[in-house]
Amino acid sequence: MSLFLHYLSMPYLLAGIELTLEVTALGLGGGLILGLILAGMQLSRFWPLAAIARAYTVIFRGTPLILQMVFAYDALPHIGIKLPAVLAAGLALACNEAPFIAEMLRAGVLGVDRGQLTAGQALGMTPSVLMRRVVAPQAIRTMIPAFGNEAVSALKNSSLASVVAVQELTLRSTQLASSTFDFFSIFFASGLLYLLLTATISAIQLFVEWLLDLDRTTRRERKLADYLPWRRVDLATKLDLADVASPDPEPAAAELTDTPPLALTREERARRAATIARNNIAVEAKDLTKSYGGQKVLDGLDLTVRVGEVVALLGPSGSGKSTLLRCLNHLENWDAGTVRVGGRRLGFSEDGKRLSPRAVANERASVGVGMVFQQFNLFAHVSAKENIAGPLRWVHGMTRIDADRRASELLDRVGLSHRANALPRHLSGGQQQRVAIARALAPNPSVLLLDEPTSALDPELVNEVLEVIRRLAIDDGLTMIISTHQIRFADEVADRVAFLSGGTIIEEGPAHEVLSNPRNPLTARFLSVMEADKTPEAVR
Amino acid sequence: MEKSIWPQARRGMARASLPRRKLMLGAAIAFGLVVVAPLSAQAAAPPACAALQEKYPDWKGKTLVNAINPHTPGYETIDPKDPSKYIGFDIDLGEAIGECLGFKLTYKPVVFAALLTTLAAGQADIVISDIYATKERAKAADFITYSKVFDGVLVAKGNPKGINGINLSMCGAAAAENTGYVEVPLIQTLAAECKKAGKPEPTIQLYDNNANCIQAILAGRADTYVNDVNSVDSAVKAYPDKLEKAVAVTIPYSVGIAVPKGKPKFRDAVLAALIEVQKAGTHMELLKKHGLDVNNFMEPEILTAD
Repeated sequence: MSLFLHYLSMPYLLAGIELTLEVTALGLGGGLILGLILAGMQLSRFWPLAAIARAYTVIFRGTPLILQMVFAYDALPHIGIKLPAVLAAGLALACNEAPFIAEMLRAGVLGVDRGQLTAGQALGMTPSVLMRRVVAPQAIRTMIPAFGNEAVSALKNSSLASVVAVQELTLRSTQLASSTFDFFSIFFASGLLYLLLTATISAIQLFVEWLLDLDRTTRRERKLADYLPWRRVDLATKLDLADVASPDPEPAAAELTDTPPLALTREERARRAATIARNNIAVEAKDLTKSYGGQKVLDGLDLTVRVGEVVALLGPSGSGKSTLLRCLNHLENWDAGTVRVGGRRLGFSEDGKRLSPRAVANERASVGVGMVFQQFNLFAHVSAKENIAGPLRWVHGMTRIDADRRASELLDRVGLSHRANALPRHLSGGQQQRVAIARALAPNPSVLLLDEPTSALDPELVNEVLEVIRRLAIDDGLTMIISTHQIRFADEVADRVAFLSGGTIIEEGPAHEVLSNPRNPLTARFLSVMEADKTPEAVR
Repeated sequence: MEKSIWPQARRGMARASLPRRKLMLGAAIAFGLVVVAPLSAQAAAPPACAALQEKYPDWKGKTLVNAINPHTPGYETIDPKDPSKYIGFDIDLGEAIGECLGFKLTYKPVVFAALLTTLAAGQADIVISDIYATKERAKAADFITYSKVFDGVLVAKGNPKGINGINLSMCGAAAAENTGYVEVPLIQTLAAECKKAGKPEPTIQLYDNNANCIQAILAGRADTYVNDVNSVDSAVKAYPDKLEKAVAVTIPYSVGIAVPKGKPKFRDAVLAALIEVQKAGTHMELLKKHGLDVNNFMEPEILTAD
């Protein structure tokens, strides 16, 4: 025991820790840099880069670290690169860690919800902004446990530097054992030293996890609230509600009470139609064609939408509604045909060349097409308010003050001022969709595309969202294209419905006419299937 | 990194333990005739070294790197009292040669099997680490031989398997060896003989240092470990109740200093310096200082691949 303690506190061994940490730091730091490059190459659009990265991964993940150490130390000098032992060991460890870290990074990046990426693109974020503001903050959070793991493993792997004469802890231990024959006392002591080092890494990992925990602030509030006696009763119910993601429905309802008349009268409709007919063309798709692997999704589709017009796209699943909307925002490429928004042809520069993803993003931001998705696609790591204010700063260069003011304004409009600081996961589906609408409206788009905005909602939450959309149509005169299964809603809100089947519009016309008197048998059949609770009888 | 330095008196560093010094004193008296001459030369390198430094000026004032496998008590280990230093016969001999040619040495500890690759990669300038000079190894480095080889057979106390050398008595036994040691092929060739005699073949367990080989016997994993007799003796000294030396065997090699191939000038300089160190009696004195058998002494020769 006394021998054990003697070796545990021996400066010679403790000095070995320093080299152990040096090699580990070089390995992890270098591995992170190399890993970032590798992950970037693997996720790249250019296949040769991805292929090189893949080959590197196969080689360095597939050969033992000990060989890589010896190679870096003994083979590199033959081509004129003579690194000091610590650097050679650090280099080998970095090269070895890189593919593992790259895979971690790739998993983290790919693990971020695709919908959020689409939403970011739709808001006009360039790939780099998207990476920095949406992907990285979420990916990093999920990668911390894996990175802690990797750090521990790198620390232990640094012991292999002993084969290239780095005087780290393991090498010092074996040399000491050879000269003193106190084999076990020495290895128990150095084992304990390693354990202390790895325990420290674990502690750092837990601390960082705690630091980046999105719920931390919420939880602290809760704890604080626990000490306030008058809030206690309230708290019990409120917390539960927050957990089922449906808190305080009363204020929400209260804020949306001053509803305008549910729908327009026949005369009002006629007047509205006459006005719209004189307006400029907002969106124009001509002969739009697109296939997915031989399957035609859009088959020469034509659609013209005028400023202030609300068009409802109806049709069975797979009829091309979503694809059409995604093309109108250039989230998808199409095979043939043209899309013009505000007179500008999407996807091509003035000299007719295809745009890069970055240029497409800038185009989206400047043309002003907002989009609302079925799955809301809010950025999960920031509050409701920041979901709206963030893109204004990142894409449109607004100052924080202006962006926050605009966000508050819009939250107020959708009746969610009281939930401004809530994370999306603490909001109900209906609230999330209302935030998503506010987010899409924030940059003042000329057109708003809504892709089945209520399909993912529980029935009792559908109305709060429809109410918001209805007001946009009637109060604000916003140009909107909505794909929906809510026949009754379409009848109330839309000026025109377009019925899609097999990638073309098979019937279109004034909403009430088409919905009450479909001429195409396919339209008729679809409407009768949907009829049960959505009969078009709301027009007064 | 100043390493254990001979002569001690000048550097004023008494590193040898008191009993050992008494022993040395005794040895000095017993071998008075031999020792008197070097004692008088202790204050400096042999006078002929000045001439050598003139003839070979390239290394004067330089610091060279000596790759060692510091797991061989008596030859090279770290100093248990001050682990930042290395001690042993090879260390002292190397520094005596360095002093003669005017260079200093720093040390690079590597596994035994990596000694020559480290030298070949230019990560070390010289290897003085109880390495046997063989024709095979001479393909990787040039050798200046300086010591005869006597191997000891380390076995568990009582020698339960009755092993008495690398011969038929080893058939069916498990031998612990260091990766890269010359004993390994010798035991491997034994396999055919055992087979012919209708006995099971010996098995070899490869470790990467002396201590692990000894532990293998202590743990009952191996039956024997054949190595330099002095290493075997120090193991028995450390575990007198558990280990014993069965017998000493002669191995047809000598121990050599390895220098990089293609540097004949450096090789010749080291050879010349070693001759001077031997002439001054230092070599013999160091053998005694480290408790090694004086019969190991031999006149240096050069061994190359061709």
